Amino acid sequence: MKIAVLIKDVPDLVEELELTEEGRLAVDDMSFVPSEWDDQALEEALILKEGDAGSTVTAVAIDTGDVDNMLFTALAKGADRGVKLVGDFNREMSNRARAEVLAHYCHTEGFDLILTGVQAIDDLDGQIAGLVAGRLGAAHASVVRDVALGSTSVTCIQEYSGGKMAELRLTVPAVLGIQAAQKTPRYVTVSKVRQMQKSASLEEIEGESSEAPALEIRRLYPPVASSHAEMWGDDVEELADRIVNLLEEKKLLRS
Amino acid sequence: MTLRVFLMILTVAMIMGSAALFIRRILTIYHVMQKARPVNRTDRLGERIKSVLVQVGLHRRMFRISFSGLLHYFIFSGFIILLIDVVETLGEIFFPGFTVGPILAPLVDIWVILVAVGILMALYNRLVIKPERFHGSDEKDAFLILGLIGAIIVGIVIHDSFFPFVAPEVLHVADPVARAHFLGYAVSRLWVVLGWTGPTAASIGYAFGYLLDMGVVFAFLAYLPYSKHLHIFAAVPNIFWRNLEPAGQLVPKPIEDTMAIRTFEDLTWKDVADLYTCTECGRCQAVCPAHAAGQPLSPKMIILQLRDALNDRLADKNPNAEYPDLAGGVIAPEELWACTTCGACQEVCPVFIEHVPKIAGLRSALLEDGIVDPNAQKVLMSWDRQGNSFGQPGRKRPLWAKGIEVPIKDARKEPVDWLWFVGDFASYDPRVQHLTQLIAKMLTQAGVDFGILYESEVNSGNDALRIGEYGLFESLAQKNIDALSKAQYRRIFTTDPHSLNALKNEYPKFGFQAPVMHYTEAFLELIDQGRLVVSPVPIRVTYHDPCYLGRWNGITEAPRQLMARCGVHLVEMPRHGAQSFCCGAGGGRIWMDETGIADRPANQRIREALALPDIQFFTVACPKDVSMFSASVTAMGVEEKVRVVDIAEILAVAIGLQAESSLALMTV
Amino acid sequence: MGPVLAVLEMNANQLTDASQELVTKAKSLADELGTTAMAVAFGDEIGDAIRTLDVGKVVVIGGPAVTSYASLVYEEALEKVLAELAPALVLLANSTMGMDLGAALAARTGKPMLAYATALAVDDSKQLVATSQVYGGKLLAEVQLPTEGTIVTVIPGSWPASGTSGTPQLEDITAEMVPGVEVVRVMEEDSGADVDITRAEILVSVGRGIQDPENLELAEELAQAIGGAVSCSRPVVDAGWLSRSHQVGKSGKTVKPKLYLALGISGAPEHLQGMKDAELIVAVNSDGKAPIFDVAHFGGTADILDLMPALTERLQGRGQ
Ligand SMILES: Cc1cc2nc3c(=O)[nH]c(=O)nc-3n(C[C@H](O)[C@H](O)[C@H](O)COP(=O)(O)OP(=O)(O)OC[C@H]3O[C@@H](n4cnc5c(N)ncnc54)[C@H](O)[C@@H]3O)c2cc1C
Ligand code: SF4
Ligand code: SF4
Repeated sequence: MKIAVLIKDVPDLVEELELTEEGRLAVDDMSFVPSEWDDQALEEALILKEGDAGSTVTAVAIDTGDVDNMLFTALAKGADRGVKLVGDFNREMSNRARAEVLAHYCHTEGFDLILTGVQAIDDLDGQIAGLVAGRLGAAHASVVRDVALGSTSVTCIQEYSGGKMAELRLTVPAVLGIQAAQKTPRYVTVSKVRQMQKSASLEEIEGESSEAPALEIRRLYPPVASSHAEMWGDDVEELADRIVNLLEEKKLLRS
Repeated sequence: MTLRVFLMILTVAMIMGSAALFIRRILTIYHVMQKARPVNRTDRLGERIKSVLVQVGLHRRMFRISFSGLLHYFIFSGFIILLIDVVETLGEIFFPGFTVGPILAPLVDIWVILVAVGILMALYNRLVIKPERFHGSDEKDAFLILGLIGAIIVGIVIHDSFFPFVAPEVLHVADPVARAHFLGYAVSRLWVVLGWTGPTAASIGYAFGYLLDMGVVFAFLAYLPYSKHLHIFAAVPNIFWRNLEPAGQLVPKPIEDTMAIRTFEDLTWKDVADLYTCTECGRCQAVCPAHAAGQPLSPKMIILQLRDALNDRLADKNPNAEYPDLAGGVIAPEELWACTTCGACQEVCPVFIEHVPKIAGLRSALLEDGIVDPNAQKVLMSWDRQGNSFGQPGRKRPLWAKGIEVPIKDARKEPVDWLWFVGDFASYDPRVQHLTQLIAKMLTQAGVDFGILYESEVNSGNDALRIGEYGLFESLAQKNIDALSKAQYRRIFTTDPHSLNALKNEYPKFGFQAPVMHYTEAFLELIDQGRLVVSPVPIRVTYHDPCYLGRWNGITEAPRQLMARCGVHLVEMPRHGAQSFCCGAGGGRIWMDETGIADRPANQRIREALALPDIQFFTVACPKDVSMFSASVTAMGVEEKVRVVDIAEILAVAIGLQAESSLALMTV
Repeated sequence: MGPVLAVLEMNANQLTDASQELVTKAKSLADELGTTAMAVAFGDEIGDAIRTLDVGKVVVIGGPAVTSYASLVYEEALEKVLAELAPALVLLANSTMGMDLGAALAARTGKPMLAYATALAVDDSKQLVATSQVYGGKLLAEVQLPTEGTIVTVIPGSWPASGTSGTPQLEDITAEMVPGVEVVRVMEEDSGADVDITRAEILVSVGRGIQDPENLELAEELAQAIGGAVSCSRPVVDAGWLSRSHQVGKSGKTVKPKLYLALGISGAPEHLQGMKDAELIVAVNSDGKAPIFDVAHFGGTADILDLMPALTERLQGRGQ
């Protein structure tokens, strides 16, 4: 199968997120890392490819700045092609705008299976998997794992809350939002990526963008954080009551 | 045909046969060595010869186990002294009238006795003492060889005992040393009693002894290179080729492509020689912390498995045969990832085999194939992204310096006398941070002009390299070297032995040069210069030598002297100094899954300390050791018996910066 | 202005808690915006809870095609409903179904969409404003929403459900079969098997404070009652009381459950490394100064051997 993995990078949450005076993310001063779920999707794609000699994996990223290393890393891990969709894009590109570009590219390439992370930490206006599928009119499922290839279909497990799940069969072309790969995403050594940078090249393809609905963000702000637990004292009965209340409040009790 | 001619023909045939077999084997091995990676091991002749004399001639490392050392010395010296017998015996047959003279001759008999004693001791060792270190070795081969050596000495005595009769009557020469061979002479009295002294009986007896001696010698020569006893020939060159570079340097030169060992051609020629030199003595296995913990690793088996795999390939005539990968196939990933790179194996090996570079190279191959512990993988990514193993922002590295009253200079902005390379644990681990602050206060008290690199410092890369991630090591090293090159300082100072090792031994290959000191050395100097005044802290402690301080960098005295200056009474654990026992943290182990560990090395070490009389403090000189051993004390529930303290804490009490009560035992 | 529409989700023929919250919000927003609240539900066996929802109208999409959730079928049916009702706002829970449907529906209809909402309100100038939790909860985004069909997925538990009832008008329609996504089978996680602690939503995690292996039973009972799994710190594994697969931390597993109940765990850095990103951390430790309280959201200083049974008793009481 012709598999595409849509990957993007997101701010590294390890670092403090800084805001500009206008209340926007100070993207220029931040470090970006591949979205962890996209890493899972890439791993799942590579596992599928390893189990099926005829499959190819294309890693696709929109050139919002500095995505080369991420794509070379995907190549070093075993992807066959690294595609950079170029155009007038920047770090603040919304997911809706991304989905337009990605859907257009996927449509022209005719991928059978499109994998991406189930979500990313910056999906304010929707998750890529559903957005791209909606634009393509393709079969899709999110929060899935354990993908298996058929001849003109794929199967996977979709997870619901409370331990429920379903096995789905999707006709290709299909878009999947991967929750977790069958195994931890593989490590790739620094020198392997460096060698890739020397020996391989990325395909730069002009990204076709079209109008997409945009949201107006009034402000971004950090939640009030406490650095110490709120203490509930030492009375066992009261503590137990409080914990049960908290569980109820947070909808963590099985109904 | 006369006896002489008969024995001459047979001897020539034996010499030719065994020499042919011997040379064929040596050439095969030489061929593999030729195809292997280069390494310079023939420089510094003087030092090399000296080390051969000490290690071979005096058996320096062998004598660390006195019983085995002694028995080996008997047999080993026998191999040299008994050359007299070879010369004499061949001479008797080939050059009628030849003699070694009355002085050398009795030496043969003396060594026959010593070798016999050696053989008996060896049998006792293997059959009665049965040290665990032999587990996995080819014991049958060992017995076979002992048997052969036994045959030779019996042969010597037999042909010497018949020679006094054969010489005059059959060979028509004199035997001037008949009595000098006192053993043979004694036995010859028996033949007199039995009446086996006539030409026929004596000829048969002599021929039997001759063949038992010479025949087995040449059989030995032919068999040796196919067995572990190749060490008899290989040990001397292998010791000659030992590594004379700083021990702590894992990689001698910058690597262009990869450090991964996938085929035998990725080994250096010295690595190949190592495989054929291993004596299977298992001394390395006996000191290996991973082995002691119950992990599937034995450094001996690493060498033997590689050797056996190489032998299989050499014996295989099929050029297209597929072989298992060296990393992951011949040697299992669990074996390779279990290594703490403590270096105890290398330190103890009597023939100077280097295990750690092979293990690191094999790990590198695993890593390139993505076979790595998930937790270690996370740490590798944190080093790459954040520059530290804690997955914390680089900007938080100097946070420890915020909360203390002494100012800490920014070495990137102003010149300092001492540049303090802090390291990850000392910077980020909340349990170690107070120690780091303490060091800063002590430096200030001593009036030292010091500074740190703030967030420009990143992990030294010492562990990344030992995990087999050369590229990451190089990029971390480059970042530090860049930052250091912009700073002005006279010397580098660190509390972290792992950083010390990288700065001192691994960075010079990138052109970096600076004096690097461990804090125990630096504070000792300050005390001796009178810049710190100590008053005695009369406590009884034991001290754990960190591998990367003691073994890899030879810094064993400074911490001890520092404690002595502080009036501390040190009681040594059985394993100390360069023979210290690893805490289990090195080589990336500190971040890896502990599945398979039956008895954590750090716990074994705490038990070793608890066995000492009246020890309340377990002193350490490495930030990682603070975490490792404190956790063991917690896990073992012995907080009220022993407390883990860093030497810096003792010094702080000695110079009046902290009250002695700060060292009190935990009360639970 | 069109209605505020809540898309409901059922679990075992019961309206999920998250759906009830959506209804509550749909109603209050509709009141403020001067429009009606409506809901759409899937399935043939809708219960009384839906017939008595406090909304103006409930569209029930039934038929064999909707027996289990399949994205394309649901989308196609919803698209028709949306076209007909022209809602001002569509609310979905940020569940598997909501994540799947919300984004695809937005893309198909070209309507704006907002994910991860935790608050929705009408401000002083009568504008609809939402707050979303982004960047792993490190930032909140305040977003102005146009009222022409914006699709919002809401994080469950963001506000309480009111539980008021009403008499909605009911409209039944039948969903059409759409090929593309087929449900092969529906399964339950095998709860009897040794649970993977990295997948559990609730972890009852015990440390050396458990003191004796016999006390582990208390933790297991609690985990059972709470619907979670038991995990632990390293010394508990070292002692051989639990197997290594239960260990949280540096040399164990990294977990991110919805609730991490740390019982008798001091909070050593190696342990924190494995659990500090849990969504909610409640710690109980007899030592009020234990570092675990630096990362916990709530804490108590009681003896866990007393607390565990007390908690189990309450939870079991609730079940009956
Ligand atoms: C390399 C390395 C890796 C490590 N990896 C891990 C790891 O993966 N996971 C891990 O957990 N640890 C790990 N550790 C060990 C870690 O340092 C700590 O030793 C360990 O986490 C302590 O476990 P604990 O909190 O259960 O025990 P303790 O620190 O002894 O804490 C027990 C706590 O229980 C409280 N308590 C006692 N009785 C009661 C009671 N009746 N009621 C309420 N509270 C009570 C006490 O006040 C105390 O705070 C690692 C250590 C090292 C060096
Ligand atoms: S370096 Fe240490 S842990 Fe590794 S094999 Fe040698 S002795 Fe064992
Ligand atoms: S490697 Fe060295 S120490 Fe180990 S068994 Fe071989 S000769 Fe002995």
